[in-house]
Amino acid sequence: MAKSLNFRTTCAVAGFSLAALGSASAAEQIMFVSQGGAYQKAQTIAILDPSAKKLGITINQDSVPDAWPIMRSQVASGKPTWDVVDVATNFCLRGGEQGIVEKLDFSKIPNAAAMPAEYRSDYSVAYEFYSSVLGYNLKKFPDAASAPKSWADFWDVKKFPGRRSLRNHPLATLEAALMADGVAADKLYPLDVDRAFKKLEEVKPNITVWWTSGAQSAQLLNDGEVDMVMAWNGRISALAKEGAKVTYTYNQGILQSTSLCVLKGAPNLPTAIKFLNEAVDPVHQANLPLHIDYGPANPKAYDTKVISEARVKELPSAPENAKVQALMSYAWWTSPAGEAAEKRWLQFMQK
Amino acid sequence: MSTSTIDPSLRHQRREQALMTLLAAPAVLVIAALVVIPVGWLAAQSIYDNGFTLEHYRRIFTEEVYWRSFALTFRIALMVTLLTLLLGYPVAYAAAHAKRPWNVLILACVMLPFWTSVLVRAYAWLVLLQRTGVANQLLERFGLITEPLAMVHNELGTVIATVHILLPFMVLPLYSTMQKIPRELMLAGASLGGGPLYSFRRIFLPLSLPGVVAGLTLVFVLTLGFYITPELLGGGRTIMISMVVSRNVELYNQWGAASAVGVVLLICVLAIFAAVGRIIPLDKMLGQK
Amino acid sequence: MKTTLLPRLAFGLLVGLILIYLMLPVLIIVPMSFSSTRFLTFPPPALSLRWYQEYFGNPNWMQGTRMSLMLGVLTVLIATPLGTAAAYAISNAQNRLMRSLHMVLMLPLIVPIIIVAIGIFFVYAKLGLIQTLTGLVLANVMLGLPYVITSVVAGLQSFDKTQEMVARSLGMNRLRAFLTVTLPQIKASVFAGAVFAFISAIDETIIALFVSGGQYQTLTKRMFTALRDEIDPTIASISTLLTAASFLLVLLAMSGQKKEA
Repeated sequence: MAKSLNFRTTCAVAGFSLAALGSASAAEQIMFVSQGGAYQKAQTIAILDPSAKKLGITINQDSVPDAWPIMRSQVASGKPTWDVVDVATNFCLRGGEQGIVEKLDFSKIPNAAAMPAEYRSDYSVAYEFYSSVLGYNLKKFPDAASAPKSWADFWDVKKFPGRRSLRNHPLATLEAALMADGVAADKLYPLDVDRAFKKLEEVKPNITVWWTSGAQSAQLLNDGEVDMVMAWNGRISALAKEGAKVTYTYNQGILQSTSLCVLKGAPNLPTAIKFLNEAVDPVHQANLPLHIDYGPANPKAYDTKVISEARVKELPSAPENAKVQALMSYAWWTSPAGEAAEKRWLQFMQK
Repeated sequence: MSTSTIDPSLRHQRREQALMTLLAAPAVLVIAALVVIPVGWLAAQSIYDNGFTLEHYRRIFTEEVYWRSFALTFRIALMVTLLTLLLGYPVAYAAAHAKRPWNVLILACVMLPFWTSVLVRAYAWLVLLQRTGVANQLLERFGLITEPLAMVHNELGTVIATVHILLPFMVLPLYSTMQKIPRELMLAGASLGGGPLYSFRRIFLPLSLPGVVAGLTLVFVLTLGFYITPELLGGGRTIMISMVVSRNVELYNQWGAASAVGVVLLICVLAIFAAVGRIIPLDKMLGQK
Repeated sequence: MKTTLLPRLAFGLLVGLILIYLMLPVLIIVPMSFSSTRFLTFPPPALSLRWYQEYFGNPNWMQGTRMSLMLGVLTVLIATPLGTAAAYAISNAQNRLMRSLHMVLMLPLIVPIIIVAIGIFFVYAKLGLIQTLTGLVLANVMLGLPYVITSVVAGLQSFDKTQEMVARSLGMNRLRAFLTVTLPQIKASVFAGAVFAFISAIDETIIALFVSGGQYQTLTKRMFTALRDEIDPTIASISTLLTAASFLLVLLAMSGQKKEA
């Protein structure tokens, strides 16, 4: 028995030393993982490079669109190679529950400690805000008066004929369904899951595509494959910047965040915590929206004057815009009721 | 010269056999370590969850999510298989009967897409078949339709792209069977007074059947395991078994459920191969791939 | 045999249409790769080399390409000798054990890839082989073996075994007899098998999705994840290059086989 175990560890060590070969260096460093693309490029300029410089550390980067299964397998292997992960907040919370991410000591993260309590948890710090908004094609709805403005409009296929697309995921989609059914944005939680699915059943025959990636939602709207879509605000504004005739409204948008969390047993834990504090520094945070259409998570960023007045108006987490949106409760989504709702999704899709 | 009591030729034979087994051993070990053990592990997991349980299997047969997906997958596999046969048979026939350079050209047309990434081909179909895509524009210009057809983001799109990917797996076994059918037989059929259709039906078709069976089996079984194409072209609604397996693992960490679904799928595949293997030797079928 | 012209024309037309269907994706991928816009559109509004520059100028794409090439080469270096040895054993020993071993060796073609992928993911997670080169190479050797074996078994079938016997009776040992007499005559089959194993390793996506990552990401995995982020014509240009390269390799393998026959 002992022998076979030994053999196993030897194999594991051989595997890891192979993996570690490329990145041996004496200076303090961390492995930071985000979601890639334009978003990761923007934060590299706004946050990662300045933080690395200020702290005198090296920030190695990796990008993974679906980090969750890898987070789990890394921790399960007993020797994770990632330190800090930037993922949708619910994964940080679930990771906390399942012992996959480290509990944070906020006395060592003063910048985060100063943020509003709902922006952090025992295991995570909010990193940036984005919004699931109602976007539409301007060729189909040229004047503002007759354009869809709310989820009720999105659901109203008679008054607003056209092809529609929703995300193939319950998060934010159930919220939109409830708002379409008349639930107020600040009275959503706990979600009435049955009511939400019933409302979704109503619009289902009119959904042309259930999109699975941000790129797909943008391509669908750009190609005219659909006329209106629930998509992330940055996706639609990027299209508009490319000259596509599309726009969106923040009204009844669902304000969501990604958070930073640290993997359990991270190889460079102390450096990772130092980085966490630096990453939510108001000035770095204020720099993020200069490079991409996502909002800072630290509200103090709006006091730094780094972001121009005009720019503030375009950001999802700007106070004016936040007022007309619903703030997603990740705590509810990681509760048993939330997880049950998530599992029910597949069944709903197949019917 | 041997003084041994064992017949030397027998001993030689044994040594030969041992040597051959030894030569095959490294390859067999690789397959054992990377197919047999992982799949066996999954099988064990599907019936062991803190003790022996058939719960995961019970769920496959009672919960809608699972059996709907199985039903959809088999329906798509059936459609794809029949369509590849309908499209593949004439192509293989033409390739087997055309003269140079036409036969080479036909085979090249069959093989070239084979070496284009499945991923990229899925996007090519999106561009071709979507509402504002080339296909709809052409159909509209010729006045064949007034409203764009929904050819993608649904089952139809999945089938069109899957047939495209699997067509070579039908054409190649058909072609290699047809090539071996002596032309004189057809001539003999004609000399007996039958028309070309008669000799085709009575002579050529029956002789090409082994290729048909091999192609049908390969295409059917490969469709059962399809993953990327329905994911990208199904519009989110076309959930095939492979997608259920990967979702159970990635999203919900339900290894038991994923393993059970995988095991059922594997049993289906093995049963099909075993049944067909009684008609055509398996290595012949796969060798033509 | 006399056939009237009309049915033959109709048949030719039918086959032509099916061949167009087969070629259609390739026919639009190539022009799209030279597109000037950021979106996958056909026909492209104007031509440019922008997406080829994007591919060659982006360190991530280059890393993925190097990784995939290295993976392909390592896979071939391991799968070819293992597969050839197994094929030699299969065609020499016609007994029951070897026939069942032959079946076992064909398993990677039979078992649906997703099942193999999650099984390997699970076992690798236990052994710490996820995101390692070793893990990826092993998986691709497994996938490549059936190709090598099938090709070499076919080659050995048409090879006259008595030649090797003669060489051995002249005093050569088995290995030398194989290397100097048999191998040169089946080398085209071995080469064809190696090419198939190489292309299979370069094109493999599903196992890579589960077990590759970090600095060991294959090109196909990068393509898959990049497509979730931006759907732009870079993938069309990569695909065009890959198709051209694979086709050349196959032509090379086929011409080698022709010479042998």
